[in-house]
Amino acid sequence: MIKKEVLIIDYGMGNIWSVANALNYVGAKVVVSSDPDLIVNARKLILPGVGSFRRAMEVLREKSLDQAIVEAVLKKGSDILGICLGMQLMGTAGSEDGETIGLSLIPERVDKFSELELNHRKIPHIGFNQVNSSEESKLFSDIPSESDFYFVHSYRILPNNLNGAVSLCNYGVNFVAGYENGNIFAAQFHPEKSQGNGLRLISNYMHLNA
Amino acid sequence: MLKKRIIFTLLYNSGFFMLSRNFRLQKVGDISWLRDNYNFSNVSSSIDELIVLDISREKRDINIFRECLKEIVASCFIPVSSGGGIGSVDQAKLLLRSGADKVVINSQVFLRPELVFELAREFGQQCIVASVDTKRDSENNFHVYIDNGTNLLDLKLNEYLTNLSKLPIGELYLNSMDKDGTGQGYDLDLLKEVPDSFKCPIIISGGAGNFNHFVDALAHERVNAVATAHLFNFVGDGLSVSRNRVLDLGFNLARFSSF
Repeated sequence: MIKKEVLIIDYGMGNIWSVANALNYVGAKVVVSSDPDLIVNARKLILPGVGSFRRAMEVLREKSLDQAIVEAVLKKGSDILGICLGMQLMGTAGSEDGETIGLSLIPERVDKFSELELNHRKIPHIGFNQVNSSEESKLFSDIPSESDFYFVHSYRILPNNLNGAVSLCNYGVNFVAGYENGNIFAAQFHPEKSQGNGLRLISNYMHLNA
Repeated sequence: MLKKRIIFTLLYNSGFFMLSRNFRLQKVGDISWLRDNYNFSNVSSSIDELIVLDISREKRDINIFRECLKEIVASCFIPVSSGGGIGSVDQAKLLLRSGADKVVINSQVFLRPELVFELAREFGQQCIVASVDTKRDSENNFHVYIDNGTNLLDLKLNEYLTNLSKLPIGELYLNSMDKDGTGQGYDLDLLKEVPDSFKCPIIISGGAGNFNHFVDALAHERVNAVATAHLFNFVGDGLSVSRNRVLDLGFNLARFSSF
């Protein structure tokens, strides 16, 4: 069987190594690149990320990766999976370190958990938490609802009326844990850090439309 | 609901993994010893997180340490924090590109607090674990030590933590030097020194000898995670047995599935 190929977008921020490690484990062929041409022509992308929204968008723009990603996803219909900050960058805008425009692949903005939402909970929201997923979700195929996934973040996307908010997590407020709409996928948690459930989700992403 | 965590900490010193007792180190074995005695793909399914610290007392070699880190985490699909002697954004980046998700900093938090801001700007606040080593004096006041426990600061723990709460850190790793490696249980009195202004999650470390110690600490409302660095107390299936016992008692820990 030919290994399914995936390109991890390397923009110098984030846990590329861990994501690649998990992809290798589920049998994917992994390419790590910061070359816009390769990104535009990849069929399957992963946008990882750990760090601040503003800094990450600056780097994506400096390297012209923002345009390459949008072109691959919206014009060529390539699959994309954003992980953690990668998911947030796919939103319309973020308020971390000042207002910054995002990639706008997910039609919702990214803001910090408010004091009211947190109600004395600590941020960052760090650790394993239950994710309630819808049965139709492709990412969560064969993963029971209420499975535990690993989160580490202080900013969140609220479900509001967001079409594609296929799984939610609660931390004082329900927020979007998993998003999928057409070829656009995202996880606020770290599947590569979520033991067997996370590996299953990554494997599901690799076998979409198979 | 957010789960509490059990964390395993590995202490690395110039090529060897160490047992620490009151910060005195005893060599246990190198990476191949670790491979033989700790099957990390198994162990990691019993813990929520792994911390790998370079506590080398001689000169540190971050490149050799990174290779060890990579090997350890290759079969772990859990969060990994790493640190020891990190003095720059570039050094932190090296660890983050070798399998770490978060960086642990200790002495530099005191010596160069501006580094904490630089790291937070580059990687986000959630990426920074501030480690604090503390020890009681003869009157049971807690004091803070830096530089692998060798230098006493002129600050009590609660004053230090008040200062720390103003820095952009993601978590606090609070380690009792008195209990370190003793297996006598955690020093939960430490938690009384944490100011109310302190908002970030707290990992308590030092003293775990058996699963009852995990239970005692996890029951404390201010504790988000318990850590043990003892290579022998939980060897073999020790961690999985302990985890299951804690779960059986109804504690709110994550349940993992295999892939």
